[in-house]
Amino acid sequence: MPPPTQFDVQAVYLFDFAKFVRWPAGREHDTLTFCIAGERRYAESLARIVEGEHIGERPLSARIIERPENVSGCDVLFISDAAKDRLDEFLAASARRPMLTVSDIPAFLERGGMIKFLPVGNRIRFSVDLRSVSQGGISLSSELLKVAVSVNGKPAGGGGQ
Amino acid sequence: MNLRTPRPRPLAARLTRMNLLVSGSVLVIAALAFFTYDLLSFRRDLIRNLDAEAQIIGENTVSALLFNDPQSAAATLKGLEGAPDVLSATLVTPDGNVFARYGSDSVVEVESHVLAPSEMNHLWSSGTHVLVARHVILDGNSIGVVYISARLGELGQRARRYVLIAGIIWIFCMGAALIISSFSRRMIAQPVIALADTARRVSRDQDYSVRASIPADNSEIAVLIDAFNTMLTQIQERDAALNRARNELEARVEERTAELQTANRELEAFSYTVAHDLRNPLSAISAISFLLMETYENSGDAVLQSGVKNLQTTTTSMGMLIDNLLNFARASTAALKSTPVNLSTIAREVASDLAASNQDRDVTFSIGEVPPVMADAGLMRIVLQNLLGNAWKYTSQHPKACIEFGAKILPIAGQAGERLVYFVRDDGAGFDPVRSGQLFQPFKRLHGNVDFPGTGIGLATVQRILARHGGTIWAEGAVEKGATFYFTVN
Repeated sequence: MPPPTQFDVQAVYLFDFAKFVRWPAGREHDTLTFCIAGERRYAESLARIVEGEHIGERPLSARIIERPENVSGCDVLFISDAAKDRLDEFLAASARRPMLTVSDIPAFLERGGMIKFLPVGNRIRFSVDLRSVSQGGISLSSELLKVAVSVNGKPAGGGGQ
Repeated sequence: MNLRTPRPRPLAARLTRMNLLVSGSVLVIAALAFFTYDLLSFRRDLIRNLDAEAQIIGENTVSALLFNDPQSAAATLKGLEGAPDVLSATLVTPDGNVFARYGSDSVVEVESHVLAPSEMNHLWSSGTHVLVARHVILDGNSIGVVYISARLGELGQRARRYVLIAGIIWIFCMGAALIISSFSRRMIAQPVIALADTARRVSRDQDYSVRASIPADNSEIAVLIDAFNTMLTQIQERDAALNRARNELEARVEERTAELQTANRELEAFSYTVAHDLRNPLSAISAISFLLMETYENSGDAVLQSGVKNLQTTTTSMGMLIDNLLNFARASTAALKSTPVNLSTIAREVASDLAASNQDRDVTFSIGEVPPVMADAGLMRIVLQNLLGNAWKYTSQHPKACIEFGAKILPIAGQAGERLVYFVRDDGAGFDPVRSGQLFQPFKRLHGNVDFPGTGIGLATVQRILARHGGTIWAEGAVEKGATFYFTVN
């Protein structure tokens, strides 16, 4: 088995992030969809990970999207470096929707993203912007915030479980 | 002994001891039971707490494990600082590497205790340490294992504290038991002690009128005391009956004695009268026999002469008997006329009369001087006539004799003090000391009438005279060793 790539690690993180998100009510049995913008290898890696898995009672799926118009139906949206030119469009499309946005593009949080990967030493860590999270109508577990490198903005409501 | 002086009360003390023993042992057993239960439950609680802590740690380190953040996990583990028994806590990843660690434990090595994937949690314990392991679960999968090791050392400390608390409670309970036992003493021991006091008083004072007070309850003690009181009542009744019987008996004896005395007096008066009335005809017979003797002295009729001689002797003997009987009667009935009497003078007169009666005998009289005594002179003469006469008579078989009269100071037999005792001593035939008791009984004679003629009434008369004066008489002697008669007058 080849050593895990950066994509693999980030894909696992995406999967794990989803476990700490509280989604709006009414979707407890719907498929939880991971969308990857820009990087095909990401999507493949993630598809392998979520294959047959569940979070809670929600089955998982992963797909790649090319255009911001296609973000509807996504629960987790990863915008890879390859799609950084259309970042604002993707963010605008996902804004105020219950959709967790994750990226490793610099200044992602400043531009309205929720979770940004950043390398610390040889490990991958992440920062969180709670303002964007609460605007989206979802909340993050304090467990997740506990291990974040930095957390901007106050949570609009109580932190989720 | 005063009844009110406090005596040792073994029963009360025993009751108190018993109470203390019972309550003390109950306490000790209860304390042991509680202690054992507490030790067990403490151990159980400790383990349960450790497991709960492991679970909490596990839930709080999920994200740290997922997102590979050992610092965050270490911070969570550090929260165990607040648990005093916890020595160390270790978070291990599924591939067996130590992810984060808190504290250090040289005793328990986490690496050697592997938690099987099928087990949710596991407990290893040695005498002093316990190790709890628990999977960290996320969505049904183990993402790591939490180990927490703790020492059971607090158990010993707990035991010491327990003993201390139990000791303090024990002391309080002993105090309470003492107080309670003083109540129970009042209820149980007090009546028994009162009963014992009463019994002691009864046996010491022979007082059967006392009664033990009966406690109000219906206990066996009350029954016992009631039975005791009933017994006392019965004893009292029996005593009373006995007393009545004795009094009746005494009254009857007195009555009989009075009747006997009356009869005796009447008899004595009668014999006196008879003796007195016999004297006149006897004097006539004596005079007639003397005339017959004068008349037929030279008749040459030997048979007649011997008959008359015999008549004369018999008449004289009968006269003596009548005189003695009269003396005996007088000794009992005549009024005492006490005057100072010189017994030596009387003794000398009696001795010279005796010596004159038979000049052929070789008898030495030794009459000592004695102090005068208050007595009836006539009766004292009868006494000395009898005693010296007896001495004269019972020495008659000896060719040479010595008769002594005197007085000496002798100790009173069986008592302290001394008294003046008169004595008449001879060296004649004496008597068998075994039969000395019969000496002073009327008509009892120790010697035959042939050897020593007599009426058997002399010494009885002497004893009666001395008794009437308040004196007494006794004799010492042996066969052919002489006799000594001692007497006191008053």
